[in-house]
Amino acid sequence: MRRFVDFVVRYKNYITLTALVVMSFSLMSIGSLSQLGGFRAVIVGSMGWIQSMFAWVPNPIALKSENTALRELNLQLSIESSRFRQAMVENTSLRNMLELPAYTDDKLIAADVVGKTTVELRSYATINRGRAEGVKEGQPVITDAGLVGNVVGVSEHYAVIQLLLNRDTRISSKVYRSNVDGLLTWQGDEYLVLRDVPLAFDVKEGDEVVTSSYSVLYPPNIIIGTIQHVGKEANSLFLNIQVKPAVNFGTLEQVFVVDRLPSSERLLLEDSIITEHVSKEGSR
Amino acid sequence: MTAGTQQRNIMASPAMRGLLYATVALVLTVIHVVFLGFVAFGIVTPDLLMILVVWIALEEGQFTATVAGFAIGLLYDAAGADVLGSNALAKTAAGFAAGYFYRPGMGRTTIGSYRFLLIVFAAGLVHNLLYFTLYVQPMQVSFWQFVLTFGFATTFYTTVVAVFPMLYVNRKKEW
Repeated sequence: MRRFVDFVVRYKNYITLTALVVMSFSLMSIGSLSQLGGFRAVIVGSMGWIQSMFAWVPNPIALKSENTALRELNLQLSIESSRFRQAMVENTSLRNMLELPAYTDDKLIAADVVGKTTVELRSYATINRGRAEGVKEGQPVITDAGLVGNVVGVSEHYAVIQLLLNRDTRISSKVYRSNVDGLLTWQGDEYLVLRDVPLAFDVKEGDEVVTSSYSVLYPPNIIIGTIQHVGKEANSLFLNIQVKPAVNFGTLEQVFVVDRLPSSERLLLEDSIITEHVSKEGSR
Repeated sequence: MTAGTQQRNIMASPAMRGLLYATVALVLTVIHVVFLGFVAFGIVTPDLLMILVVWIALEEGQFTATVAGFAIGLLYDAAGADVLGSNALAKTAAGFAAGYFYRPGMGRTTIGSYRFLLIVFAAGLVHNLLYFTLYVQPMQVSFWQFVLTFGFATTFYTTVVAVFPMLYVNRKKEW
């Protein structure tokens, strides 16, 4: 017994170390005991109370890193917000465009505008649809807002549209309210001009101008624009009518190509009558 | 009897010294939990309680330091909501390791010299390698990278902070 006590006293440090290590591992393995949980809850609550008393003390290092993180997050959110705004605008535009088929029996080919060109008062736009998708020369092009122009060139996957803002524009059109006919042209500024409307005819500012049934290229009743100004020129029998295009050509991004070509029979008949008339005049 | 003599008589009592160590441990635990975040570099903070364990080891011996390390570690586990027993184990080992440097009557001399920093570093290394080994076990990270990075970082930081008690004791002329 005495030797045992001597042994314990001599090696008490190692025995103590072993016992405490075993106790530590035991505590680690039974850490989820409910009684211990209650004790810890008291301790954690007390610490939490003390921490809350000093919560007003700012931590400069933490504030700096938080600032940096918030700045980066702000930048990311700004970029995302900008993307969402753009997507919303595009979404609204596309939704409006989806309503188009309800107003026409013709098939519509959707396309994106991939390029715009202006050469000597002739404005063109390139779209990413071509022969492979059914696009042909002469087909009219519209958006939900109104008339854009017509196809003047086609390749396998691309097509070129002649826009209304073009010196060669000649469209048979009419004032929708009063059915007054005229010829729509473009003189080089921001407005289209409705020509050959006599002074006495009923035309007012704000009237809508649409394609007429006389037009060979375009289906009837497609909105072209709104009358901005009605004037009378000196020494002229016709009104000076300025029409603001319904389509904003500056922000043109999506268009529809109307799968419709002018009647070849009608074209041949009209051409033959004109040719016959011209030759008769010439022979006189 | 002078005030210094009275103080020395009181401190000669083991019970009073134990009470003092317990009070200091409690205060350091609160400081550790509440305020040490302000001087943290990521998750690296100085271990003030480990410095106390080394102090006790140099003043009281290996046996007392081992038991004190267990008690102080257990207190910190409870206060810091850590796994119960993890700090107790690490500080028990640290107290045992620091106790090897105990020399009767030479406590304050050792604490007031550079040897104190070396002992704190050695004991801190034992403590942190053990503690971070337990810490990293359930995680999907590289063991050696984590332990050597954060273990050594915490040890160095603790050693730097140990300069303050060393300087304090070094300036006291009464010992």
